[in-house]
Amino acid sequence: MATKKLDPVTLQVISGALDTIAEEMGHVLFRMSFSSIIRESQDLGAGLFDTDFNTLCESESTPLHIGSIPGYMKGIQETLQDGEWNEGDVVIHNHPYYGASHSPDIAVALPIFYEGELVAFSANTAHHLDIGAATPGLIIDIPDVFAEGMLFAGIKLYDKGVRNEALWQFMGNNSRTAQALKDDLEAQIAAARLGVKRFQELLDTYGKETVFAATAQLMAYTESVMRQRISEIPDGEYFAEGVMDDDGRNRGKTLPVKVCVKIEGDSVTVDLTGSADQVPTGFNVPFDGSTKVACYCAFRALLLDAETMEVPVPSNQGSFRPITVIAPEGSMFNPRFPAAAEARFTQCNMMIDLIIKALAPVLPEKVTAGNSASLSFVSYSGLRPNGDYWVFLEVNEGSYGGRPFSDGPDCIDNLMANTRNNPIEDLGMHLPMVCDRYELRDDVHAGAGKYRGGIGVVKSQRMLTDGFITHECDRHIDVPWGAFGGHPGSVGKIEVHNQNNPEKVDELPAKFSGVPTKAGDVMAFYAPCGGGYGNPLERSAEQVLEDVLDDFCSRDYAYEAYGVVIDPDLKLDLAATEQRRSELSRVAAE
Amino acid sequence: MAKIGVDVGGTFTDLILENGPGNVFVHKVPSTPQDQSIGVLTGVDDICKMAGISTEDVELIVHGTTVATNITIEHTGAEVGMLTTRGFRDILHIARHKRPYNFSLQFDVPWQSKPLVKRRNRIAITERILPPVGTIDTALNEDEVRDAAEQLKQRGVEAVIVCFLFAFLNDSHEQRAKAIVKEVMPEAFVSCSSDVVDVIREYERFSTTAMNAYVGPSTAHYLHNLETKLRGRGIKAELRLMQSNGGISTVENCAERPVTILMSGPAGGVIGGRWCGGLSGEKNIITVDIGGTSADISTIPDGHIKTMNPRDTYVGQHPVLVPMIDLSTIGAGGGSIAYLDSAGAFYVGPRSAGADPGPVCYAKGGTEPTVTDAQVVLGRLDADQFLGGDLTIDPDLAHRAIEEKIARPLGMSNEEAALGIIKIINSNMALAIRANSVARGFDPRELSLMPFGGAGPLHGVALAEIISAREVLVPPAPGINAAIGLLVTDMQYEYTRSVLAVLNTADQSDLDNINKHVEELTQLCRDSLTADGVPADKQRFQKIAECRYQGQGFELRADMPDEPLTMANKQLVMDAFHNQHRQDYSYAFEDGVVEVMTLRVIGSAPIEPLQWPALAKANGQAVEEALLYSRATTFDGGATQDTPRYDRAKLLAGHEFAGPAIVVQHNSTTVIPPGYRARVSEYGNIHITAT
Repeated sequence: MATKKLDPVTLQVISGALDTIAEEMGHVLFRMSFSSIIRESQDLGAGLFDTDFNTLCESESTPLHIGSIPGYMKGIQETLQDGEWNEGDVVIHNHPYYGASHSPDIAVALPIFYEGELVAFSANTAHHLDIGAATPGLIIDIPDVFAEGMLFAGIKLYDKGVRNEALWQFMGNNSRTAQALKDDLEAQIAAARLGVKRFQELLDTYGKETVFAATAQLMAYTESVMRQRISEIPDGEYFAEGVMDDDGRNRGKTLPVKVCVKIEGDSVTVDLTGSADQVPTGFNVPFDGSTKVACYCAFRALLLDAETMEVPVPSNQGSFRPITVIAPEGSMFNPRFPAAAEARFTQCNMMIDLIIKALAPVLPEKVTAGNSASLSFVSYSGLRPNGDYWVFLEVNEGSYGGRPFSDGPDCIDNLMANTRNNPIEDLGMHLPMVCDRYELRDDVHAGAGKYRGGIGVVKSQRMLTDGFITHECDRHIDVPWGAFGGHPGSVGKIEVHNQNNPEKVDELPAKFSGVPTKAGDVMAFYAPCGGGYGNPLERSAEQVLEDVLDDFCSRDYAYEAYGVVIDPDLKLDLAATEQRRSELSRVAAE
Repeated sequence: MAKIGVDVGGTFTDLILENGPGNVFVHKVPSTPQDQSIGVLTGVDDICKMAGISTEDVELIVHGTTVATNITIEHTGAEVGMLTTRGFRDILHIARHKRPYNFSLQFDVPWQSKPLVKRRNRIAITERILPPVGTIDTALNEDEVRDAAEQLKQRGVEAVIVCFLFAFLNDSHEQRAKAIVKEVMPEAFVSCSSDVVDVIREYERFSTTAMNAYVGPSTAHYLHNLETKLRGRGIKAELRLMQSNGGISTVENCAERPVTILMSGPAGGVIGGRWCGGLSGEKNIITVDIGGTSADISTIPDGHIKTMNPRDTYVGQHPVLVPMIDLSTIGAGGGSIAYLDSAGAFYVGPRSAGADPGPVCYAKGGTEPTVTDAQVVLGRLDADQFLGGDLTIDPDLAHRAIEEKIARPLGMSNEEAALGIIKIINSNMALAIRANSVARGFDPRELSLMPFGGAGPLHGVALAEIISAREVLVPPAPGINAAIGLLVTDMQYEYTRSVLAVLNTADQSDLDNINKHVEELTQLCRDSLTADGVPADKQRFQKIAECRYQGQGFELRADMPDEPLTMANKQLVMDAFHNQHRQDYSYAFEDGVVEVMTLRVIGSAPIEPLQWPALAKANGQAVEEALLYSRATTFDGGATQDTPRYDRAKLLAGHEFAGPAIVVQHNSTTVIPPGYRARVSEYGNIHITAT
């Protein structure tokens, strides 16, 4: 590869161009696509990769996709149909034991040839509604990877420019939502082709040698920034642990997650040894495509925080290089074939939350208190009058823990999730569902603190016809932790009732698979609330009054947790507050 | 019979006056940010004196204002109350539940930390309307509405919005609640979501309604106050406002829906750019308006000003579903700061030195080198000609700052560092231009790049070269281009309504329903234009169906035929949609199911356009008559050459000259590098092309 060193100006110019290409690819993909999980949630990733599968640039879409595509590319290389890339090829791939993040995230990869030579790849991944798994949309309680649906490994959807009609026809009969699957693949192909075109234009403008010298330098730059930040952390081993509720089948059997973060100079190792063994359901995490990617995500959020960086660091392979991930083979974070490994998000988010917790003592100004650190991923489905399936995938939001300088945000996607919700009115106009409630929880409190935890959502969706619901979620047991004297937050819950019998409310576990529902059934999801950061007695009494006025906090809780006395007519009683606060301080000291 | 355009910017208020065809005056006065009307009135007085007319002779004043925009930037809006459907109190708090950044833990969430409506003022009301046809499931609880209004009144809330779910299907609950609130609070600014923007998607509709109320009372007050002050001075002129969509509207209308003038400022520039292109018969233009802190970019293919997709219209971080000219803004301007980060990477912007302290060479305390400082170091801005000599600058300070902060750490010469600053800022702007043009399917080789704003013509040629534009076209008065736009645009009203229908399977009764709504929207436009005194034969209507393939989430515009839809002509709408889809995404699903989501009717009426005076013809007179002096100037290639300065006021129609050359005028400097040639057109546009 090129070795010449470029001037900083050319470097900056090519860096901007690469960013723009990735953004353009992502834009076409989500604007054009059909299923709400891609177009609204933007559960996708897009970028350019060199022939060693290093990420050259990647779109700002969903964090778990960012960093996963190199794994796909390696998997494709091992399984590639005919074993060679040709101009006009379009490859699809989703095999979790060949680098995929999980099977519903199908990658579309195109080779980029320049002057007859393979120089790079344009690729993207997107979450598809249904690939013909055991239950519609999502799956948890399944025996093995073959129950996840169609598995593609290195398959050419176009071979030297010729469309493989047999494959398209095959897909048409192996998905409950075949039209959306095929149309969304068309959107992925359009986005990837745009990447090819734009990269070739860039090579035309600057020449191959200069462009690749630039990409090498940009990766080195990003790596050096990350290493600089890591080296600021004192060397040592930092630990944290938590538990997952269960594997979605064996109720009551919690699953430990153990994280050891080892800082050595400008490198870091995340060791997950001691975490649960692999489970017999789909609640395992593909190692290359998800476990590692989640670790990368944790350190980017912690150390290259976009809010506090003056300019964003180029999004490329460099940020991954200083990070090593260890998870013993046969564990939940590194399962052995043919274990199923589709439902992997909540474990990843829990692991990130624990990395944050482990490093809190040495990075008090960069961390958060305990987050919701879960994900509520719901598949609602049913049959249309003509017998066709409809499937709707919804990602529900979480909340953040309190932070060193600000409250934890309420009702927002947490850590590795960053999707958009589907408008209630759009849903109501197009599917036999209606939303009955969507607002902040008022049945529990977020963790009190100098900076309070974020408040979780309650969302109630009603089925208008019979159907099925699958829910991938966690965190009904492990309470988000309070940091530096902050109080713990609250766990989540699921309630189900029928509209005609609102008194009879059933509570369900966080994970359930293919539960049949009747018309009028309402599922209410309550998200966990974040933990508080810092001693609640240090929150100004005036701010607590504001919280009470806005119903973020009740008068009783203001008294109990914050020691702030507010009259029934919502006036602050400063004298009584002072007394109550000194009393609470004394109790705490004892 | 005089007309005035007055555009208020952050630093200057720009004016243009036309007193009969071709009799044109331009002027600039300092803006008065605490009350923009002071600067406006001063400017109007001044320019009337310059034209030698009485203010009473002015018949029309068109105003571009940032008053509403500034409220959103400074967070000084009204205390707003909101009545909303029970169970959905926090739609504005949750937004689309997506974080501003993928990788951040300490991020701010503006809609939560600085909400348009505080949670305490969001009051849930029992009522329920259900899809898909707007059936009333639970009647409106009027007592709750009255109690809520009393409560908000007690709190001293100035504006109240009523936002109910599915109001776009059935607005009866919203209208009834609004009437009750008005009874209780007759002085308040009261509106409901189906009035402000009658379309599907609750968060975006509520946010637009909330933004309208947030800026409403102050904006309405400003507009009425300005009108009163004008009257007080005996000025009887009609006062009109530039809206974000590039059309002008009345005070009454904008006071009611101030959300339509949030992008009033930059819209004038784009309209002015189109018009100046027209002076040379150029219809394919990219406008680049470069000021101190930011650059606004817009592509005008075939004279057609593009409108932003409603899904992309944000003000601050709040979605605002009102038509806006499709322009991209990036943080790149004369004041953009150049710096090296801790790992040694070289950046320019988006941080800006602004007007205060401004670039280092202003000697107002700035220490970080800016783009303007780089231009000074390269000899492209002459100290004695800066702002026509109105502002003295110190080139030594610029040299020193660049040497200290950039050149020495990078081991470069001062000139290399300055060239690097210019190259990076140009590259950033060029990427934004590409994103607004090439990425949307327009071939830059068919477009002329028109730079304006104070700093625009310094960068024009370099930008055109990077994006491969056909030529550079510098308008006659780059510093006041936005004010020109005010006097050359149409009266314009837009009304929208969500009407969902699948065109492939629609029968005549479905189409009749669409036709009925289109006719109602057309009538609303007609009423507005008629109220403005526009005769029926001058009124024009454009009918648009915003469509998507069923299942998609983003609509694109499809033109509808003038006549009502029939089974015979509905294919025209579908074809228009397929074409737009292909244009935007380079692919169309020809067999896809096309769903109409929203109908939009734009009613417009042309106003008598400005007539720019033709320049005297050169007729063989040498360009040397305009020569001021020559000085050494460094160009992007690195060569330093002795370069003539021409006085723009002395350039005549038909003058041609080769680069290197610099054209100087009061508020702007045009750089013509070596290898380029300039030609002055009949009306004073400078065309610059590669030789």
